[in-house]
Amino acid sequence: MNFEKLQKAWQCQNPGAKVLINADGLLKEVRHHQQQFRMTIFWRDVREVGVAFLLTVLFLYLGMRHHDWTDAVLALACFGVGTFMVADRLLQRRKQPASSDSLKTCIEGSLLQVNHQIWLLKNVLWWYLLPLTVALGISIGHSVWRTQNPGFPALMVGVISALFVALVYWGVYRLNQYAVRKTLEPRRQELETLLAGLDQ
Amino acid sequence: MNAEEQETVFRRWLNDHLGLMLKLVRAGAATPEDQDDLFQEVLVNVWSSIRAFRGEARETTWIYRVAFNTTMAWRRGEWRRRRGHEKFLKFELSPRLQPSHLDSLPEREMVERLYAAIRQLPKVDASLALMHLDGLSYQEMAEVLGISENYIGVKLNRIRKQLADQLKGANDEL
Repeated sequence: MNFEKLQKAWQCQNPGAKVLINADGLLKEVRHHQQQFRMTIFWRDVREVGVAFLLTVLFLYLGMRHHDWTDAVLALACFGVGTFMVADRLLQRRKQPASSDSLKTCIEGSLLQVNHQIWLLKNVLWWYLLPLTVALGISIGHSVWRTQNPGFPALMVGVISALFVALVYWGVYRLNQYAVRKTLEPRRQELETLLAGLDQ
Repeated sequence: MNAEEQETVFRRWLNDHLGLMLKLVRAGAATPEDQDDLFQEVLVNVWSSIRAFRGEARETTWIYRVAFNTTMAWRRGEWRRRRGHEKFLKFELSPRLQPSHLDSLPEREMVERLYAAIRQLPKVDASLALMHLDGLSYQEMAEVLGISENYIGVKLNRIRKQLADQLKGANDEL
């Protein structure tokens, strides 16, 4: 069989003949899926950004109530993190490739997004952990300092609190780096291979 | 475009291009379960893309783009994980109806082997092979992939050789 015959055989396939389609059910399902996807993204944003802004309000309230300036520092750190997340989401949403773009454009767009995600997670220390650590450090340090007769017990409370925060943040940092290694790096490699396949 | 128009276009595309979508899905995933997954994914993306369709490209070219982009981004079992299989079964729709309905057995077997051979190719090459078999012009292929037409001929020669190697014996003249 030569290529033309093979091509003809290929084009003669008629896989639709026995396919049973419940178009109404399908449409319902597709709409449902799309709605669900939008809601998942929405609630993810609400969870991550919302918590940051909620904490901002909480610390501002506590600061005003107790006349404690360190709460304002914490509020500022939370607000900064939340604002960074919002700005980043908005910028990245604009760059999202459409599924109807050409394959090359789509792969390039996905690669840009994966690279950005890797950058974000690799630098989680600078934009997320460090601002909160500094603010918490100031808050804990100030509490210890403010304690009347700051003796050994107060110092210990401060040290234990600091150690606990450090441990949690170390966990968060390691988790982010694991996600980069396990998911994002292989995906980047896969996309780079696809792109190279188009250029070769 | 309002929701009603979107639905009308979707139904028409489903009617006119179902065969094309199923071919692309079969070439992109090997097992019936994976084909189901991928097919759902393609349909969702085709539906979402309709509002952006301005008629500048041919419908088939558009569907190729959406299907290829979906295949490249698709992960095995993702749909099943996201949605749960019970709900999916209510679809009453399956691209599993293979083998293809060709008259002669050798032709049918050859097409089956061709599907298997295409799945062995790198994804980009598989995309080109599918479009080539469907008789798209170099210009259309370049448009779908976003690369220069000059590349297409060179690539297709290589792909035909690779396919010939895999189908050796059955298709010496490829």
